[in-house]
Amino acid sequence: MNAIRWKKFFASPKWVTVVWVLGLILVWEIGATVVAGVKRTPENVLPHLYQIIGSVFSSQKANSTQTAIQIVLSNAWITLMRAGIGFALGAMAGFMLALLMSLFSAVEKMIFPYLMMIQMIPILGMAPIVLAITRDIDKSRIVIAAILTFYPVATNTLSGFKAVEREKRELMFSLAASRYDVYRKLLIPSSLPYLFTGLKIAAPMAITASILVDTLQGGGGLGCMMSQSLKHAMTIYVFWQIVFLSAIIGILSYQLMAWLEKLVSPYRRSGGDFPATDAKEPTP
Amino acid sequence: MNKQSNAWDQISTFLYPVAFGALFVVLWQTGLLHRLLGADTFTLPLPGRIFTIIEENTPAIMGNVRATLTVALGGLALGSLIGYLLGVLAALFSKWGKGGLTLASAFNAIPIIAIAPILNNLTKDFSTDANIRSMFAKILVVTVTSMVAMSVNAYRGLTELKPFSLDLMRSCAASGRQIFFKLRVPNSVPFIFTALRVSVPGCIISALVSEYFAEYIVGVGRQIRENIVLAQYATAWAYIVVACAMGIALYAALLISERILLKGRG
Repeated sequence: MNAIRWKKFFASPKWVTVVWVLGLILVWEIGATVVAGVKRTPENVLPHLYQIIGSVFSSQKANSTQTAIQIVLSNAWITLMRAGIGFALGAMAGFMLALLMSLFSAVEKMIFPYLMMIQMIPILGMAPIVLAITRDIDKSRIVIAAILTFYPVATNTLSGFKAVEREKRELMFSLAASRYDVYRKLLIPSSLPYLFTGLKIAAPMAITASILVDTLQGGGGLGCMMSQSLKHAMTIYVFWQIVFLSAIIGILSYQLMAWLEKLVSPYRRSGGDFPATDAKEPTP
Repeated sequence: MNKQSNAWDQISTFLYPVAFGALFVVLWQTGLLHRLLGADTFTLPLPGRIFTIIEENTPAIMGNVRATLTVALGGLALGSLIGYLLGVLAALFSKWGKGGLTLASAFNAIPIIAIAPILNNLTKDFSTDANIRSMFAKILVVTVTSMVAMSVNAYRGLTELKPFSLDLMRSCAASGRQIFFKLRVPNSVPFIFTALRVSVPGCIISALVSEYFAEYIVGVGRQIRENIVLAQYATAWAYIVVACAMGIALYAALLISERILLKGRG
């Protein structure tokens, strides 16, 4: 009985993932051992994983009041809140714009080229202008996360509206459905997978943006702590913890969107096999 | 649909965005935009002033553009190449490869800002010249970020074949080598462009971000940051405009080459 269960486990894709993770840990550790041999301060370059894990549980204070992990977690909360609020606002605005663009083709023609161009604008470049308008660093972080969320959601939702089969629209038309009904019963439900594709791309980006803006100015947040730690204002392990935490948060935010998608439309096949890269299908 | 409305359709596709852009610039130049946003001309300079600055500082700006483009394109080329090879490996050893790619794409969610300082520290010994070693670190950051999209898409391109095409090849007694070069590789070409559509804008952005953390102060992204710190917003805006132009130019070049290379594909 037990043997069969083990056999099943070895044949499953989970086992493949486990081996890959173990392999990565091995590579990291070999690297860390090499670095420890050559460098005077190996913890600045590549510490052993157990050292990082040890620093998570260490009770040594990194500043006057908090241990390293307390600093990281309290600042992570600040960053996440801003990213979350910005993400929600941006997603809503993106969806509304996609709806507008699908309702009025003039709006689509006018705005769509610029929507593509927004991608090219460096995020941090927008920070000072947003700061000047809102006169508040907190608000500007939220706005920047919102802008970053906005365009993947808008473009993906729009292509969702466009992907609805012509026959279905014609059927609705021949049944004399009102425009409102066409949207409520046909277009919006069938655009949901596309909306979630946009959300999955946007969620890690909103977090990245929030951390990046943190590094611009003081006032807490993961990015702020990260640059302080890199300047050796506090122990370097704060930096390593933030690196791992931001990776975990990034991946979890994607998973959260995938989970939400299942919740909203459980009968649908969820997106692609691979996260974040299944944005666009190749044009035939 | 008659001919006339078709022509209008094409004209308006071009005319509407131009009109919108012109309106935006006029609003900006006349200061109405500032009143709408509640900004002043110090933090949001007039377009005329931004272009004067670009004109006056062309040599300095071009130097920074060259540095950033080297990083972005070098990283993109290296990352795409490695990514494609990884995709090939994954396609050859499908069971292990697919798991590896799933894991790799999970790494895609890791913020660039977490990767940039690590690579920066790792490459400290690469060269005694700060310019060269930080250039190397920046190229590595871009390589990492553009690798994942390419490897996943290459894998899909090499394995998602048209139904029965593999059976046809086999029934013609094609060797594994022939199947690979005559069926899988050509099939993956559109997928390469899908990956590039993600990674070309991505490579500019990661080049800009990696410059923020680099040791040596050079590049368009770094200049944006330095000028913001010095409260020279007009100069910072000039570099922002240059960065946007770079991104748009690269994307346009990609679309044009895609149209030429994929010509005649159904």
